Amino acid sequence: MTSLIDHNPHSNSIGFSFSQSTNAGTKEHSFYPYTDNGGSVLGITGKDFAVLAGDTRSTSGYNINSRYVPKVFKIGGDEDGEGAHILLSVVGFAADGLALKEKLDAVVKMYKYQHGKPMSVRACAQRLSTILYGKRFFPYYVQAILAGLDEEGKGALYGYDPVGSYEREQCRAAGAASSLIMPLLDNQVNLKNQYIPGSGEGHALEARKPEPMPRETVEQLVRDAFTSAVERHIEVGDGLQMLVITANGIEEIYHPLKKD
Amino acid sequence: MDQLVRQYTRSPHQNEFYSEQEQHDLTEALPPLSLKFSLPPVANHSAFLRAMTDDHSNPNCPIKLAHGTTTLAFRFQGGIIVCTDSRATAGNWIASQTVKKVIPVSRLSRGEDKPGSDPVPGLLGTMAGGAADCQYWLRYLSQQCTLHEIRHKRRITVAAASKILANLTYAYKGYGLSMGTMLAGVTPQEGPALYYIDSDGTRLPGNLFCVGSGQTFAYGVLDANYRYDLTEEEALELGRRSILAAMHRDAYSGGFINLYHVTEAGWVHHGFSDMNPIFWKTKLEKGEFSNVTSAL
Amino acid sequence: MNHFPGTWGRPRDDVYGPYDSSYLRSTGPKAHTQSPAVTGTSVIAVKFNGGVAIAADNLASYGSLARFTDVKRLRVFGDAAVVGFSGDVSDMQYIDRLLESMDIRENYSAHGNQLNAKNLHTYLSKVLYKRRSEFNPLWNHILVAGFDGEKKPFLSSADLLGTTFSAPHLATGFGAHLAIPILRRLFPEERPIEEITKEDAIKALKECLKVLWYRDARSLDKYSLAVITQEGIEVQEDQQIEAQSWAFAETIKGYGAQTV
Repeated sequence: MTSLIDHNPHSNSIGFSFSQSTNAGTKEHSFYPYTDNGGSVLGITGKDFAVLAGDTRSTSGYNINSRYVPKVFKIGGDEDGEGAHILLSVVGFAADGLALKEKLDAVVKMYKYQHGKPMSVRACAQRLSTILYGKRFFPYYVQAILAGLDEEGKGALYGYDPVGSYEREQCRAAGAASSLIMPLLDNQVNLKNQYIPGSGEGHALEARKPEPMPRETVEQLVRDAFTSAVERHIEVGDGLQMLVITANGIEEIYHPLKKD
Repeated sequence: MDQLVRQYTRSPHQNEFYSEQEQHDLTEALPPLSLKFSLPPVANHSAFLRAMTDDHSNPNCPIKLAHGTTTLAFRFQGGIIVCTDSRATAGNWIASQTVKKVIPVSRLSRGEDKPGSDPVPGLLGTMAGGAADCQYWLRYLSQQCTLHEIRHKRRITVAAASKILANLTYAYKGYGLSMGTMLAGVTPQEGPALYYIDSDGTRLPGNLFCVGSGQTFAYGVLDANYRYDLTEEEALELGRRSILAAMHRDAYSGGFINLYHVTEAGWVHHGFSDMNPIFWKTKLEKGEFSNVTSAL
Repeated sequence: MNHFPGTWGRPRDDVYGPYDSSYLRSTGPKAHTQSPAVTGTSVIAVKFNGGVAIAADNLASYGSLARFTDVKRLRVFGDAAVVGFSGDVSDMQYIDRLLESMDIRENYSAHGNQLNAKNLHTYLSKVLYKRRSEFNPLWNHILVAGFDGEKKPFLSSADLLGTTFSAPHLATGFGAHLAIPILRRLFPEERPIEEITKEDAIKALKECLKVLWYRDARSLDKYSLAVITQEGIEVQEDQQIEAQSWAFAETIKGYGAQTV
């Protein structure tokens, strides 16, 4: 990592001078460091749970690399994800995604060892934003979604852009088919443009208020969203990996999708 | 001799693992908001960044960043009004319709963000341009302001806070940041104070600013109806109406109207309201926006 | 910040210079200052009941010139893994040195070299990702075959960008287009690998190598094949593609010596 500004994290001053470290001499290569591995992910929250799902296809160009490369990860657990309490999904460039996931995982573990308690989702969400922004000038080519349960036990979901702007939301789709899935979620989860029939005439119609959905409905919606996306997007398919986080822990559900 | 041998011997491969410093950075929990950024190892990194992220010059650029849009703030006799839209776009894609573009700065005195509750002491920052840039640097500013409060036992002035931000953006000039932000606050030293800071390093005090792609539309309404001696009710309505005009005419603005009022006691949130019913109310009840036909 | 809404908040030409799209050029070898010179073509591999089989031909090309015809592109690591390389041969030899020194270092430790194929793959993918992040990539696409920590057959790939994926059968380079469809037809993914015998796997690989020899202009009819089972690693180098039939070429215009 090249340090932009020599800065001691514990000093109070901001380093304004550009003493750019030159340990690695600048090399001129015209090499394109990114690729897009396709796929889509989607997260929805409920009253006491959060669902994060993604398809398992990995592509490069028109090739299918593999039919099972998971892109939803458990954060803060052991090697098998045991003891994890946060979920992260990354879509875009898979190698960047994996690097990001491992960095966040290390941070969450260090937090636990140093503070003697698990990191809250809110803290983790902000930390992820900072990690992404740390590569502001050489971005991670990923769209991330973070999910967990907040301090009150409610489902929490945070959506990110590649350089770390983030927002807590009820639902978020990202990746290749996000433009197919997100409008569906707007309509079905946030009840956008749905009005109570007979509540008025014309502009006096009353909008339906979104309410937290039960788990079965959410899981069915996720399945519908993906089976539909598979019909219309070439980079989505093969399998649906769905992780559900509740107070009882994380449950993993695999659901086959069309393999064409 | 040893030296000679060393000079002409090369290890069979370079060290391919993380250096001690990198491992340390990886595991250290302490400094989440630091000024250490990894740069792409190319000669002209801002050109690299631009090639990857500038969706205006190249709509097919690989990495599309979320951009913020219309924001405004103005001083009047009763304090400062801050009003924004809530849309974030990545290229032509609406990334979000629910962005909070007004960001409370200074953590110590920051309370829960509940609409209509009692005034919360502190400054407000607004967000236009790169969403991540604004969020990150206002968070950084918040940290600095909080430290200021702890050290000096009094709140930072808006002038000082805005200077921290402006110095930063100036230091990063040419790196590819994109932000246009306003800082608003009322302090005993300054009274109501409003500053505009952008990623070119500009820092301007003023009575009235509109920032973002919808700024021209907002200025049009705001300039026509602005007086310093507006009542609080009139000022809130003017802020709302100006943003509404921008949302209507600017494709990159829309969603919800986020309205704040800053007074000596602190800021008060006056709602995060869907623009659609407000638009139709404005049209049907006040007869404005007559360019739009009301026939369904 | 001016009053042109479209350009607002975006890099301005007067500050950042004109938009330079040369950074976006994708990975055609000729466009790069650092580009592969002497290259190896496909590596193909299949998992079977109780092990993995992997094969690559013995050619190193210099552009369209078949430059070296006895290059072994499979490397045995310890007694647990085989790495197959496609892409730049000098970078392959560099990674070879890297693995050699690691093997020596591991063997000096009290318990000997206990790294399995999975560990090796993780290490190599991190090396590749680190080098791509330095814009100084190791221009290879590698397959790692062997066993994981639970003694199950392991097969995974990593490329010059650090992208990783695994599947029951993998192929790099031209093989991703030619060999993968054959392997997918012979061993459908829903068929458990327990039903695939060692002989089936070897036969399939030989078939694929033959097709590649017919159609990949940068391939050779001499190849190496390694089979990894719990009993150990058998490597056969200098194998010859047998039972070739060029009858198909007769019917294809431009392929053989046609008069019309």
